[in-house]
Amino acid sequence: MQFQFSDKNPHHPVTYASFFSMHTRIELVATGFTEEKGRELAQSIEAEVKAMEHRFNRFDDTSPMSVVNMRATNEAVTVDDELFMALELCEAFRRGTGGYFDVATASAATDEGYAVSYLLDPKKHTVKFTHQGVSLDLGGFAKGFALEQVCRRVREAGAENALINFGNSSVAAIGHHPYGECWSVGVEHTKVKGTMAREIKLNNGAMSVSGRNSDGVYHIVNPITGGLVAGDELVIVEGRSALVCEVLSTALYAAPRAQRSVIMKQYEGYTATELYCREGGSCEIRTIDCNK
Amino acid sequence: MNRKEFLSDCGKMGMAGVALSLFPWLESCTEKAKQEVHGEKARIGIIGTGSRGVFHIKNLLQLQQAEVVALCDNYRPHLDDAAQYYPKAKLYEDYRQLLDDKNVQGVIIATPLYLHGRMTIDAMNAGKSVFCEKSMAFTLDEALEVYNRRKELGSVLFIGQQRLFDPKYVKAMSMIHEGVIGDVVGVRNYWYRNNDWRREVPSPELERHINWRLYREYSRGLMTELACHQLQNGSWAMGMLPEKVMGSGSLIHWNKVDKRDVYDCVTAIFTYPNGVNMTFESIISNKHFGMGEQILGSKGTIDLVTGMHYTDEPMPKGSGMHQLVEQIERGVMSNSVFAGTSWAAETGSTAPGMPIMPNVKVVTGESSVGAEADGSKELVDAFLHAVITGKQPEKVLEESYYATQFALLADKAMHENAILTLEDKYRVPYVPLGSR
Repeated sequence: MQFQFSDKNPHHPVTYASFFSMHTRIELVATGFTEEKGRELAQSIEAEVKAMEHRFNRFDDTSPMSVVNMRATNEAVTVDDELFMALELCEAFRRGTGGYFDVATASAATDEGYAVSYLLDPKKHTVKFTHQGVSLDLGGFAKGFALEQVCRRVREAGAENALINFGNSSVAAIGHHPYGECWSVGVEHTKVKGTMAREIKLNNGAMSVSGRNSDGVYHIVNPITGGLVAGDELVIVEGRSALVCEVLSTALYAAPRAQRSVIMKQYEGYTATELYCREGGSCEIRTIDCNK
Repeated sequence: MNRKEFLSDCGKMGMAGVALSLFPWLESCTEKAKQEVHGEKARIGIIGTGSRGVFHIKNLLQLQQAEVVALCDNYRPHLDDAAQYYPKAKLYEDYRQLLDDKNVQGVIIATPLYLHGRMTIDAMNAGKSVFCEKSMAFTLDEALEVYNRRKELGSVLFIGQQRLFDPKYVKAMSMIHEGVIGDVVGVRNYWYRNNDWRREVPSPELERHINWRLYREYSRGLMTELACHQLQNGSWAMGMLPEKVMGSGSLIHWNKVDKRDVYDCVTAIFTYPNGVNMTFESIISNKHFGMGEQILGSKGTIDLVTGMHYTDEPMPKGSGMHQLVEQIERGVMSNSVFAGTSWAAETGSTAPGMPIMPNVKVVTGESSVGAEADGSKELVDAFLHAVITGKQPEKVLEESYYATQFALLADKAMHENAILTLEDKYRVPYVPLGSR
């Protein structure tokens, strides 16, 4: 972990920490802590996120998620409360996004397409796959889920103001910048590096961005077709919950444009925009209107 | 690169002073050592003026301490070619006559492998300082004989392992010993080319004389010509010698066009006492991957050929979160541009690396003669210094000795289809890098 504490400004001592987990860099900036408290908080966050990474990692043969993927085709697998809750949330998001967010995206195609791939039994806390070839991947869910948990922990620790960054694509704010009414986060222009394409103002809220990755590679899979989504725009979602922002931005990017407004109707209190960056540096911003 | 540039690079690496305790053979590169031989010349004879011999001659022309006074080759066209560079040099067709020349202080031997051991011993017996191309000898016994004879005579003996003097290797090994990439967990070496490895033959009876590399009577093929350079990497990086060696070799392609009998495709595995493996692979009928030498650590990787360092936990490029700390320290607010789509470096293999030093010179390994900026000139320069001072640098010979022995042992393992260890009788004192 990289840890830095500065009390050069005695009114607002600031803590910075960063570590690597879930295949990305996680960063925290928080004010109002002593060095000891800041370090303690950063260490506890790192431990929690890494434990979560293990539980949800389908590539780790010893993880609960891997056990499900290995056995749930042939039997109903009992899982712990946290994993069951996560799967229930994923199922709710699958329905809420018309299937454009689906943790079964990695599954093999069937003759019936990509409909329901797994069944949850709330009484027994079990999961059972509906057909052979299903594999669950919580990668698109885990970052948002972990970011929610980190925000909770930072609040409980008594942070005045904090900003948490999960790999640049998901950002959550507690309070505001000590010298402003919000945290001002610039979304980078995709064609002109280092240039701001859009400013997002966060105050006790979160944002998430989906699109090609930062090297310009298409990487998000359309759960309905099983193919890579080849959109050149960015989809930005803002709202209260970091988890909802993360899920929604992924689903909206995967969904056809006509479908995006339909999805947004399910998520009151969240705003979504499409950002088109052009070679010359100009940008076009289109709001995804849930009233359409 | 001249000595001044080399020293400058050493300085840029922040290793002036530090490097000498880790790499004592670089002592001749210091300003103090340079003053020691200021104005003096080493009188050199070249034995073997084929392509590699001429490569050295071209380097010697650029070195202040060099005076080539004699040339020798039993193939007249090569000797005449070399004479154009040094018209005043005496010409010999028999190396023993050159060794009798009292004006010659040191010799550079660039002859076929099977001659290295005999010529080196004869030259040392004649009181000459010796630089011999790698590999050091044709057999395990012969390499030991050379080593022991040098010890008895106290001669200066350099072997052509130029990576010892290549700044990016020196810097990389310093970083590895500082723990920058964590524990060394693997060493990968490969060398791929797609050419027949032949030299033009003016007349059929000269085939084996000129294309000696292709015949086991004179050569050990890819292991002694290529692997020997790369096998140092594991020992440098880990400070220990391999415990066992296995390998497989075959003739799969070029035997269709000539009657060679050395393998054109080899793979060898060297296992160290701590269980770490070093691999070497060479195929000369496909060049897609070129030449590679990679030290794999528990925290990252150093690519020795490109001089790049890759961490297993890379930072995203240009995160603006740090700017927030500075803003708060200064009591100001502005936006920080860092948000965007998922950071691309999702796996280590796609993460951007960092050059280990400024102005890294990359050698492709495609040339079978030699390359610019691969340490060869610095190695010869250090030899000239040793010829003048009579001082043998520490450790340099042992590194070369073991590179030869393990190249030969792997070749033996391939031909005997066996897993082999280096017998105790071949073990000479080895002080690992960094333990001085």
